[in-house]
Amino acid sequence: MSLILDTLHLSHNGEAHLDGLSASFARGSLTTVLGRTLAGKTTLMRAIAGLQRIDSGTMERDGQAFGTLPAWQRDVAMVYQQFINYPHLNVFDNIAFPLRKRRLPEVDVRQRVESVLSMVGLSNFAGRKPSALSGGQQQRVALARALVRKADILLLDEPLVNLDYKLREQLREEFRGLLTSQSDGTVIYNTTEPAEAMMLGDRIIVMHQGRILQTGTPAEVFERPANTLVAGIVNDPPMTILSGRLDHGRIVFDGGVELAASAHLKNLPHGLYRFGIRATEIEPSEGRGIPGRVTFSEVSGSETFVHVETPFGEAVMQLEGVHQVTDGSQIGLSLAPERLFAFAADGEGALLRAPGQGEN
Amino acid sequence: MASIHLDQIGHSYGTAVYALEKTDMHFEDGKTYALLGPSGCGKTTMLNIISGLLTPSDGRVLLGGTDVTRTRTAERNIAQVFQFPVVYQSKTVFENLAFPLHCRGWDRSRIATRVAEIADLLGLTSRLSQSARRLTADEKQLISLGRGLVRNDVAALLMDEPLTVIDPHMKFDLRRRIKQANDQTRHTVVYVTHDQNEAMTFADEVLVMSAGRVVQRGTPQQLFEAPRNLYVGNFIGSPGMNFVRAERLDGDLRLDGVPLVGADRCRGIAPDAEIVLGIRPEHIAFAQGEELGVPASIVSAQDHGSLLVVDVAVGSDRLRMKVRRDVSFPAGQARLRVSSDQVRLYVDGVLVN
Amino acid sequence: MLSTLKYIAVVLWSAFVVAPLLWALTTSFKTANGVTGGPTYLPYIGFEPSLDGWRSLFGGAGGIDIVRPYMDSLIVTSSASLISIVLGTLAAYGLSRFEYRAGFVKNTDIIFFFISQRIMPPIVLAIPFFLMLQFLGLLDTKIGLILVYVALLLPIAVWIMVDFFDGVPRQIDEMAMLDGCTPFEAFWRIVLPNSMPGILVASMFCVIFGWNDFFFAFTLTFTDTQLLPVAVVSLNSSVTPWWSLSASALVSVAPLILIAIFVERLLSRGTLAGAIR
Repeated sequence: MSLILDTLHLSHNGEAHLDGLSASFARGSLTTVLGRTLAGKTTLMRAIAGLQRIDSGTMERDGQAFGTLPAWQRDVAMVYQQFINYPHLNVFDNIAFPLRKRRLPEVDVRQRVESVLSMVGLSNFAGRKPSALSGGQQQRVALARALVRKADILLLDEPLVNLDYKLREQLREEFRGLLTSQSDGTVIYNTTEPAEAMMLGDRIIVMHQGRILQTGTPAEVFERPANTLVAGIVNDPPMTILSGRLDHGRIVFDGGVELAASAHLKNLPHGLYRFGIRATEIEPSEGRGIPGRVTFSEVSGSETFVHVETPFGEAVMQLEGVHQVTDGSQIGLSLAPERLFAFAADGEGALLRAPGQGEN
Repeated sequence: MASIHLDQIGHSYGTAVYALEKTDMHFEDGKTYALLGPSGCGKTTMLNIISGLLTPSDGRVLLGGTDVTRTRTAERNIAQVFQFPVVYQSKTVFENLAFPLHCRGWDRSRIATRVAEIADLLGLTSRLSQSARRLTADEKQLISLGRGLVRNDVAALLMDEPLTVIDPHMKFDLRRRIKQANDQTRHTVVYVTHDQNEAMTFADEVLVMSAGRVVQRGTPQQLFEAPRNLYVGNFIGSPGMNFVRAERLDGDLRLDGVPLVGADRCRGIAPDAEIVLGIRPEHIAFAQGEELGVPASIVSAQDHGSLLVVDVAVGSDRLRMKVRRDVSFPAGQARLRVSSDQVRLYVDGVLVN
Repeated sequence: MLSTLKYIAVVLWSAFVVAPLLWALTTSFKTANGVTGGPTYLPYIGFEPSLDGWRSLFGGAGGIDIVRPYMDSLIVTSSASLISIVLGTLAAYGLSRFEYRAGFVKNTDIIFFFISQRIMPPIVLAIPFFLMLQFLGLLDTKIGLILVYVALLLPIAVWIMVDFFDGVPRQIDEMAMLDGCTPFEAFWRIVLPNSMPGILVASMFCVIFGWNDFFFAFTLTFTDTQLLPVAVVSLNSSVTPWWSLSASALVSVAPLILIAIFVERLLSRGTLAGAIR
């Protein structure tokens, strides 16, 4: 582990932005930090970069504490949400700036800038000013300037959030290739989108209110969310959480709807639980299952999300393809019992059992 | 409420290139339309022509049958919501919503009733006495919308990317409230966005735009199932539609030797025309057991959560397919099942049959 | 049709603006006879041209020597403007980027303090300035006048530049620091080159004020130092020498016209476009 953050505290105007945060990052790895707006993701990056001072805690790089160094002595590069470039310099000079600042021979500068320019596909734009580029191109320049230094730590703060939907999709894939080419450094990438976090990260850190809720590989976090809050953050649409009771091998929702508990839940003690199920595991059923009323249906490009009000809580169902679902109509939902998560009924709703877990 | 007719409308910003090419467009009374496209496609130009912020270089704008081409924005009786919420910071939520009615000289009790109705519709009832200054961006945007809706005689409601500055996790709630408000008020709505999710959620009909032209107009379902050309196929859906060149053998269309589409669907296509197959990633699956399938090799898989997006190579073509997380699939070689009736045929980039 | 109307309006407006200058130009070549003989415009036809007015500016009969006040004005105005812009830009950058606090006094209070200097009418400031310069032995010196002008111009420079820097995204400086610049280098190499429009505007304000000021020059200097506006006014005697006044007015206004043309060129060449804002 080469970058170690230990119990970082940072508050501003009496509000805790980092609340005892500890984490470690390996060399050559890409970690995505997933969390909602104001979870403290940006503050974390600014603290690592030295742009904001931490109140307490330590930051170490290869055993060397760097928390007291000023920003310009840390080997950190950053890409912002906004497309930040030097307006008075053309694309080439923008990217060359950090190299020239380090007094690299002009021959090397030229060669490295040209190689990065071709990586981001902007070789033909070297002479343009940033203002003469589209948003996507401007963000590519910002990324190129961050990549060209081969900085020890590369931070990306929701770099795609201000781009058009389709362009975002395209750049996300480009970024994936470009970032994994940073073999030796540590890359940290902030996002609010679960799919982006899963697709890009070797590891995911789930953040909420200045704290880390869970750390793990994308599969670990997705398949074993530590609690209901994490389950809500790592699923888009959010996981449906319904309150119910486990009773003699049956899951009973108040009002008489019952399901046979599948093997992975059978050996849990009887009592109250919060049962979670992903939108993709809910299907419409004719007249049976959990009764509900459609409150709202959304169509993304190739899926339909149906929000249903049930007596046990709000449920979200994901249907493949584009469907017309009338708001206000009655519907029955069938849940696959073997896909249910069981969370504690009290406190943060800690995960007790996930699908495929605890079967013997 | 009124229909909107753009009669041979076109616009250029003083240069030779038309920001909006000459077009005839009709928006029916009481329906919701989305103008969908990337930045610079002309969607905002079209909206500004309807609202009167821009006078078109060609053609006429008809609102409910009346020519309003030269009528100023204020006199067109149109409500508009912009990217950035517009609220009177110094007023309360109630005063904000009541303002347009005050300007029209409504009496107090009538205003109170109407504002209460709108506040209820948008879920702002508990906020009415608060100062607008302290509200979050999404609440401010609701007030902007409410100020438009409160006049019960508006001819049309225009929205220009109203969710752009809203925090991602608040967008869902705002989408729902906007849709519910629309469903109840049934104004003629024109909604501009680059986000297919918003367009397809709100609109009865979506107009996909590119380079100053409407390339397809249809229901969300039509856009997904039968995109008219390669651009729409790629633009709608996430990831977009796959396009692969088909081999034509004995009248059948084949992919790497495996027949996919029968000769009957090729009727009317010139025998030497090159046919491209459009296949949605959702309509490709792994073949089971002895089933005949298109041989493919798996290149990579991206974990999107509930779904994996798998990159496969078929011959020299690359295809994307969506696979549920719980489906196990082989590494290396695989066979693909393609739902034949979901395959679309394109000649010269345009949908046939 | 519309553009024709526009052109007519422009021509009318130009005539309105240029006419006084033309009047001054012809008058500067007239003699007493030419001036009193009713309005005439064309040399040799309407009046007999003479260089008396111009000669009087360079030590000719009944005139002054304009060269020295001219140089004094140039030195005082440019020094005061330069000092104000340099100090003002640095101060403004600090006020825009860093948080200062002295008890309840914060950045906005400091900025207000600067501006409040200009609330008082000049006449109120004249006596304190006089006493201070007298105490320092700087009355009737260029340095004394420069100090006074800096005190008057600095608030304007700070105010304009704070507003400008506030509009430059802070992330640009941060980016420069992450690229290895110290805060001063970030300011010097990145922020400053992008702030030329603001500096230009602030400089124009300073130069125009400094060049045109009569009041402080009149109250704080007497014989050793004399600035242009004071010198021009001193031409006025019982019989107004219109020809000398016109010539001196043209000479005085020339630098400002040159500046205006220069700025207009910069704007139209798009040198300033593409910078921030």
